[in-house]
Amino acid sequence: MAIVRLWWNYVRVGVLGEVQYRVNFLVQLLQSAIALATGLIVLALIFSYTQTLGGWTGPELLALMGVHTLVGGLIHMSIQPNMERLMQDVQNGTLDYALIKPADSQALVSVREFRLWQGVDVAIGAIVIGVAVFQLREALGWEQALGFGLALLCGAGMIYAFWLILTTGAFWWVRMENLLELWQGLYSAGRAPVGIYPDWLRYGLTFLVPVAFAVTVPAEAVTGRLTLETLAGAVALAAALLIGARWFWFFGLKHYSGASA
Amino acid sequence: MTVIQVEQLSKSYFVPEREAGLGAALKSLVRRKNREVKAVDAISFEIGPGEVVGFLGPNGAGKTTTLKMLSGLLYPTGGAARVLGHTPEKRERGFLTQVTLVMGNRSQLQWDIPALDSYDLQRAIYGLDPAGYRRTRDELIELMQVGDLVRKPVRNLSLGERMKVEFIGALLHNPKVIFLDEPTLGLDVTMQRRLREFVAGYNARTGATVLLTSHYMADVEALCKRVIVIHHGTLLYDGDLAGLSARFASYKTISASFDQTPPALDGYGEVVATDGLRVTLRVPKAETSRATARLLTDLAVVDLTVEDPPIDDVIEKVFSSPVVK
Repeated sequence: MAIVRLWWNYVRVGVLGEVQYRVNFLVQLLQSAIALATGLIVLALIFSYTQTLGGWTGPELLALMGVHTLVGGLIHMSIQPNMERLMQDVQNGTLDYALIKPADSQALVSVREFRLWQGVDVAIGAIVIGVAVFQLREALGWEQALGFGLALLCGAGMIYAFWLILTTGAFWWVRMENLLELWQGLYSAGRAPVGIYPDWLRYGLTFLVPVAFAVTVPAEAVTGRLTLETLAGAVALAAALLIGARWFWFFGLKHYSGASA
Repeated sequence: MTVIQVEQLSKSYFVPEREAGLGAALKSLVRRKNREVKAVDAISFEIGPGEVVGFLGPNGAGKTTTLKMLSGLLYPTGGAARVLGHTPEKRERGFLTQVTLVMGNRSQLQWDIPALDSYDLQRAIYGLDPAGYRRTRDELIELMQVGDLVRKPVRNLSLGERMKVEFIGALLHNPKVIFLDEPTLGLDVTMQRRLREFVAGYNARTGATVLLTSHYMADVEALCKRVIVIHHGTLLYDGDLAGLSARFASYKTISASFDQTPPALDGYGEVVATDGLRVTLRVPKAETSRATARLLTDLAVVDLTVEDPPIDDVIEKVFSSPVVK
């Protein structure tokens, strides 16, 4: 409960800070609209030549695009800004102020930033998923909804753990921005179902960089393709990554040298 | 009873090292050479409750590293420290709720919002009860005389104003140990004096233990009876400020006033200043009594004072000493 309270307090502060910059909201709205329009045009183009892509129909791919947008919004709203701040704090020595607080250090560095306006992508993603489900003409049963929620939670957990592991590397290598740039490129690969990629890339996007679990698996839940085995695998991998990330965080903390005064 | 207990505390870093030039830079990409640097080398001291101790040393002496080890931010590579009965690097909640750190060149307040909102965040993190928190906050705002500054976004405050609101944020949880790392860095003289007065008043009122690092000797002279001098990671001196001169100053200053222009005084000591009929001489410490007696015997002296050299000079001498390792 303490972490939820802490998170809520930082969300409050984040919102207070964000509302100071109203133009950012308009810019974000424009950016999201352009990204949505581009995505829809590409989908329309693809399905003007074919009925399916890697076994996925148009509405199913629309659902995937919705999940991709929604998860991207969550990442940009909370995970990425917190990890970027962590990197800056390690570089500048301002992590001292987080570490001296009487709170779980990993939890604290993971909730300090909240970008309200990135929520536009979360909303757009949810709307796109809703439209896709409507186009599929299949009512979303409670099992599917539960599977979707759980898969989304596991995917978000995996991506958070993946980012935290990468960012913890800053304790040794200080500048990790380039690796995080690499992430952006890999995440865009999640716009298509990972099944269409060659084996080496599919495995990479599943186990090395958990884009498949974050995007494809929740989309499978919405489109009725998710098997219990895949969901169990997602839960197990998420738990393993979260435990690993926590261990690595405390290991890294022992190597924190602070920036010199 | 001791509040801070430090025994043989050490901290080493491995820092990459290479020659200058493109060739050496490319070579270091493949094969990196690291050198071990002992930032703090087996220092020991104890600090009692309510003490205000100045931690002195030149840049790179190991002051901040020690402060960070004592506040639980850095893991020592050797020795041990106990603060309020806790091992700092374990970062137990019971320890962290009783200490605070203020760094002169870094801010912990949220940039875009008023300090009051950041204070509320501190309250949530420290789990302070709302009534007690409001009382402490308002008291500190009054003591620091910041008035409505706490309602302005922090980014709109001057450096001095920001330091004042930083101090309030750092003290909201009534810490028993305060680590101050160059808190007056870059501030104008008036603001420095105000912060010094605040720290002295806070220490007298709450009995909090203060460990202060500062390059401004005025801070140290105004606040600290005791100083610890660290240089090249090792402890050079631990005692009262006055004793520092006795230990390290190799000379004393004799100022003498005459009723008429005196003859050349080079035979009595090194003349460092002449101001009308007043002459200041620098005399080796062992020669002070003899030089004073000779001056009084030989010349018509109206007034004479013998003083230790200014503390800044003493510190400069200590800091310029070569590495002894």
